[in-house]
Amino acid sequence: MSIFETDIPGVGRRFEMELTGGTRLVTVVHHDGRCELFRRDGEDADGEKILDLSGDQANKLGSILEGAYFESVDVDELTVPLGDAILEWVEVTPDSPLAEEALADTDIRAETGVSVIAVQRDDETIPNPGPDFVIEPGDLLVTVGTREEHAAFADHVEP
Amino acid sequence: MAGALLLEAGVMFAAIAAVSFLAARLDLSPIPFYILVGMAINEFVLGRYGLPYVTETAFVEIGAELGIVFLLFFLGLEFNLERLLADRRRIGASGLIDLGVNFTVGFALGYLLFGGAVAAVVFAGIVYISSSAVITKTMLDVGWIANPESGPLLGTLVFEDLVIAIYLAVVGAAVLGGGSIGAAAQSVGVALGFLLALALFVYVGTRALERLLSTTSAEYFVLRAVGTTVLIAGAALAIGVSEAVAAFFVGMAFSSTSFVHDLEESLAPLRDTFAAVFFFWIGLVTDPFSFLGVLDLLAIAVVVTLPAKVISGFYGGRVYGLGDRRSLRVGLAMVTRGEFSLIIAATALAGAGAALPAETAQTLYAFTVGYVLVMSILGTVLIQTSGVFERYLPAGG
Repeated sequence: MSIFETDIPGVGRRFEMELTGGTRLVTVVHHDGRCELFRRDGEDADGEKILDLSGDQANKLGSILEGAYFESVDVDELTVPLGDAILEWVEVTPDSPLAEEALADTDIRAETGVSVIAVQRDDETIPNPGPDFVIEPGDLLVTVGTREEHAAFADHVEP
Repeated sequence: MAGALLLEAGVMFAAIAAVSFLAARLDLSPIPFYILVGMAINEFVLGRYGLPYVTETAFVEIGAELGIVFLLFFLGLEFNLERLLADRRRIGASGLIDLGVNFTVGFALGYLLFGGAVAAVVFAGIVYISSSAVITKTMLDVGWIANPESGPLLGTLVFEDLVIAIYLAVVGAAVLGGGSIGAAAQSVGVALGFLLALALFVYVGTRALERLLSTTSAEYFVLRAVGTTVLIAGAALAIGVSEAVAAFFVGMAFSSTSFVHDLEESLAPLRDTFAAVFFFWIGLVTDPFSFLGVLDLLAIAVVVTLPAKVISGFYGGRVYGLGDRRSLRVGLAMVTRGEFSLIIAATALAGAGAALPAETAQTLYAFTVGYVLVMSILGTVLIQTSGVFERYLPAGG
């Protein structure tokens, strides 16, 4: 199966694919992601446009054809199983009782049973924060514990 | 602050936007419409009837200049030397047929009409260069992009793009330079020196440009790209080198960085805006009544140069092994002339006086505006109605 690829200056790229029976499939991919598909029924036939897709639609169609399409997952439901324990990400709001508190003073471990194993602040991750680590509003606490422990922790974090 | 100036700019942009509806409705390239609307509201038309008209302010002038710079910047950015070299035999052959036929015909005709070698070279450039932008867009609209005729068309246009960069460098310098052969030779020397420096910059500057553009901020990215391009183009013009060619080289330098795609995305709106201002400006400084003086020139040029393009395009298609029908399509498509012819005429007008008599430059300019109006509309229509002409071909083509 041969694919011929050419540049279209100012527009994008053009791919021509030979299918069985002499039919040719021509795909024009624009710089902005727009995608046009033409079909030519042979060497001498003129192309007829069969599809005109936006960038998003083209990506979806591509992933269906690739067999890589899957429904995207709701991040709120995302948990990582670790035996009985699960990992969760919890954001600290400015009015949360944990904001501006040192980890040692919050007694999270004793009160709820979950452990804070890492903190994400802006784009850096602080692994294994020490007892004198001060929680700031906006921090994402990465916690490990059972579902019950997390439920207790949720009450603890929320104002 | 200038209240009246802002109003004029508003009128200009609104007029440009208004005619885009008309172009879309008629399914034609908007370029002739931008020119016509500029012409309709200038001092020669509205002003003639004592109505308020739009004047050629410094803003419009510099906007038009930026239009030229961005048009050529994009040409350089999308100029793919590897592709040209990979298919050099066919592109070279069809490009040389195109150049040989049309430039020669243009030069001979220009010499007959104007009687001077410089004017003839300018005229030859104007009638030789087809419009990459309009032809590519029309090809997409009618679906030819999926057909074999797109090969010779895109190949020939790439070849023309390269020729026009060299042509503008040499002719721009010769016209902008002095009157005597010595002065012209000197300015061509300066131009070639500057371009050699730019070519070197293209060759070694990739990493510097890469660093220049590495930022996560879209705002800084655009500003740095624009700053680099406009500064170099402006410096070129200040020392008498075509700003268009300098912009082309800057585009080429950027084309080897990893930011080509981002540049296209972030600068395309700027290009579209200022290119429209450029076409509007062309109309704004043109007196439609000056066409009356060049109607005979126009008629002769259309009658001679239209078939010349059809024939050269036809044989260009032959080089790619196409049949009669598709070869004819290549010829019909190449008829469209546009932005580059106008850039050549504007360059000639700007540098008139020494190597090119001012009066000749004026005549050439008026001619070019009329010629582009005719050829851009005619060329687009020829592509859309090619079926009519294909029927006249001998059967089996």
